[in-house]
Amino acid sequence: MGGAASEWLRYLRTLRRFWGTALASQMEYQLNLLVELVAMAGNLAGSAFLLSLFFGPGQRLGGWRWEEALVVLGIYTLLDGIATSLLRPNLGQIVTHVQQGTLDFVLLKPIDSQFWLSTRTFSPAGLPEIVVGLALVGWAAARAGGSFSPTSLAQAILMLLASVVILYSLWFVLATTSIWFVKTWNSTEVLRAALAAGRYPVSAYPAGLRSFFTVVLPVAFLTTVPAEAILGRASSRWVVSSLLVAAMSLLFSRLFWRLALRSYTSASS
Amino acid sequence: MNGRIARVLLSTQYAYMLEYRAEIALWALSGVLPFIMLGVWSQAEAASSLGLDRIQLGRYFLAGFVVRQFTLAWVVFAFEEDALQGRLSPYLLQPLHPLWRYLAAHLAEQATRLPFVAAIAATFFLLQPETFALAAPQRLLLALLATWLAFALNFLLQSSIACLCFWSERASALERLLLIPFLFLSGLVAPLEAYPPAMRQLAYATPFPYMIHFPAQLLAGGPVAVAAGFRAMLGWLLLLLPLCLLLWRTGVRRYTAMGA
Amino acid sequence: MSLVRVDDLGKTYRIAEKQPGLAGTFRHFVKRRHRDVEAVRGVSFTIEAGEVVGFLGPNGAGKTTTLKMLSGLIHPSSGSVEVAGHRPHRRQKAFLEQITLVMGQKQQLIWDLPPLDSLRVNAAIYGLDQGESRRRIGELAEMLELGEELTRPVRKLSLGQRMKAELLAALLHRPAVLFLDEPTLGLDVNAQARVRSFLADYNRRFGATVLLTSHYMADITALCPRVLLIHQGRLFYDGQLSALAERLAPYRQVRLDLARPLPEVPWSDYGELESCEAREVRLLIQPDRLTETLARLLNDLPVVDLEVSDPPIEELIGRLFRQGEVA
Repeated sequence: MGGAASEWLRYLRTLRRFWGTALASQMEYQLNLLVELVAMAGNLAGSAFLLSLFFGPGQRLGGWRWEEALVVLGIYTLLDGIATSLLRPNLGQIVTHVQQGTLDFVLLKPIDSQFWLSTRTFSPAGLPEIVVGLALVGWAAARAGGSFSPTSLAQAILMLLASVVILYSLWFVLATTSIWFVKTWNSTEVLRAALAAGRYPVSAYPAGLRSFFTVVLPVAFLTTVPAEAILGRASSRWVVSSLLVAAMSLLFSRLFWRLALRSYTSASS
Repeated sequence: MNGRIARVLLSTQYAYMLEYRAEIALWALSGVLPFIMLGVWSQAEAASSLGLDRIQLGRYFLAGFVVRQFTLAWVVFAFEEDALQGRLSPYLLQPLHPLWRYLAAHLAEQATRLPFVAAIAATFFLLQPETFALAAPQRLLLALLATWLAFALNFLLQSSIACLCFWSERASALERLLLIPFLFLSGLVAPLEAYPPAMRQLAYATPFPYMIHFPAQLLAGGPVAVAAGFRAMLGWLLLLLPLCLLLWRTGVRRYTAMGA
Repeated sequence: MSLVRVDDLGKTYRIAEKQPGLAGTFRHFVKRRHRDVEAVRGVSFTIEAGEVVGFLGPNGAGKTTTLKMLSGLIHPSSGSVEVAGHRPHRRQKAFLEQITLVMGQKQQLIWDLPPLDSLRVNAAIYGLDQGESRRRIGELAEMLELGEELTRPVRKLSLGQRMKAELLAALLHRPAVLFLDEPTLGLDVNAQARVRSFLADYNRRFGATVLLTSHYMADITALCPRVLLIHQGRLFYDGQLSALAERLAPYRQVRLDLARPLPEVPWSDYGELESCEAREVRLLIQPDRLTETLARLLNDLPVVDLEVSDPPIEELIGRLFRQGEVA
């Protein structure tokens, strides 16, 4: 075995302990969970209804059919659930740590600070969305005639993972800026609001917005590309770009974090 | 409450909000949803079959954005925070109804938001010059009045939910629930003319269309039943005001029974 | 007519119970269990205008609950309370204008603005005209030794300065009754002393009635000629602090440094043994037998050093609460 394997094991065990206590403390709030379920059901129903408005008889949205667009909606719901469960509770705490000075405690722990801050807790509030999102994707993809062959499934999962990584990196970088600018902590809220564009396939937008959502705010990679993968028509160009963007954004988030820490620890008091 | 207290509260809150203008600017920016929806609607095949003209859509969604910015309420969050921090007790011991404080804070925040909203609107007009049109002055005044009434409606609704904090620790979760019908029935994501008639009727049975759609159409110069709209708004206000005050009174009684 | 009248006051809470562990979490999620806690029971006392009274007791004894019932923040479960002719929990305007509440480490001032702005708001709320409020601010600022701090944002002030500014804001409308809940909590020794001297000064100058809770004994000894001891929700003692000290401490504390450890000595022959660590022994001895016992100790044992003192009042009261009743 090796030091690396036992390190991974330690991290996995830590993760389990983090999320076990998180679950216990979250379940104190019965009403909260019930409300999340109802909110999710209402949201999905409303979104589906809204989407249906674009599909009069024989009409398409940016060249996508109704069932195909539902796949995109399903992926958006899935990602939103992951954001609610993992990203918001953790990355939202970064600014609190900076404000209250408790970031120091995190830095002094014998565990990687980015890992700690990113996985410290988890909220079951996003689980209904994740489950329903997956269900919607599966159902709509079957209706749309997508293939469930091993290759397209593998591609789909890979693209989804890439989406999560890209979303995480974007969010993390914005949250990290609170080390310098505590007063703009809600920049992650702007991100979340802008991500609503991911409910619709990127081809539904006019040309200017389309390039914006591909290059500046990669919403295209977040929902449209995985949807195409699941529908079995992902072009290798997009798949490769997606993986590249994911890798680069993760690397960037790491480097950015190191830069932020250097600045934080060299500042006095 | 009197004129002097109002003046002092407003000016103090404005000074306070100015300290947070960076954050407020970002909040204004996070209201981009109408613009995203405009992007989708402007290219949609369905738009023309529903009788929605591109330029009119642009005006509507911009108006929707502006109206949203000046009618939103965040009482629940401020109230919950104050209750948690123990600030509620001192407020209750001063001879001023605490809701006045929150109202002053909201109005001050809107004043602070104004330049940023204007900047965003100006940017929109730069990118879409053909949508620019100056509405007739009476229309503008009616739109202003409708916006203020919409704010009052939203504020009272949210204050009523905030009062529920006295009973449950997570009243803000209920606010989230109410956000859903608001999102889909207020006209923020699509002009209600795009909805099938059954849905439109359902929407008009709720106060939500009067929070965005009605003032926005007034501002954008779209088709809207003016008198009926104002009548409905007044009706909702007459319902919500006593409800809110009653909830507050019972809520405080419970708060003091449970041990402040 | 007494300013404050409390008769058989009681307060009971319902709290939810949860068992530890994951199984307990799920059970608690499904069905909650409650139990009743009596925070205050059968408390009765009266306070005259102009008195400075301290509420003393261990944490969770019920003193803050009692204070909140007096100020109107908590509705009593039983009994009656009357302050300045009003029933506090009704929080009528006339009542609110005569009282003020200050809580240690809790902020009323607006964080990002200078205290003067918060003072303007309070002046408007209590209906003080500009001239009058300016005069009072000047007067109180002088008593509190506050100057340019009033023009700096509250977040830039030290904890001590913040507390003084809080007091200023709370007293601007010159209330007849002051409720203070742990006012010196978290302050450094100097700041504590200054707050105490201000409160004493304020009471002398304006004749306000001061009701104060604290677990810093120094606050009580410095300010309160009269104390109410509250333990487990019940009123243990209501009277002069000096009388309490005498009653509780009919003994002196003696500390002995021995030349070598002597574990075999029958200490009870000399007095009550408080502690015995290696060569340091602490004894409690009756005052009337003090000289005789000291002589015997010096005679019988190899004493290197000896110190006689009064036991600190905190210790006395702590012992009292542990024993559970006043003799």
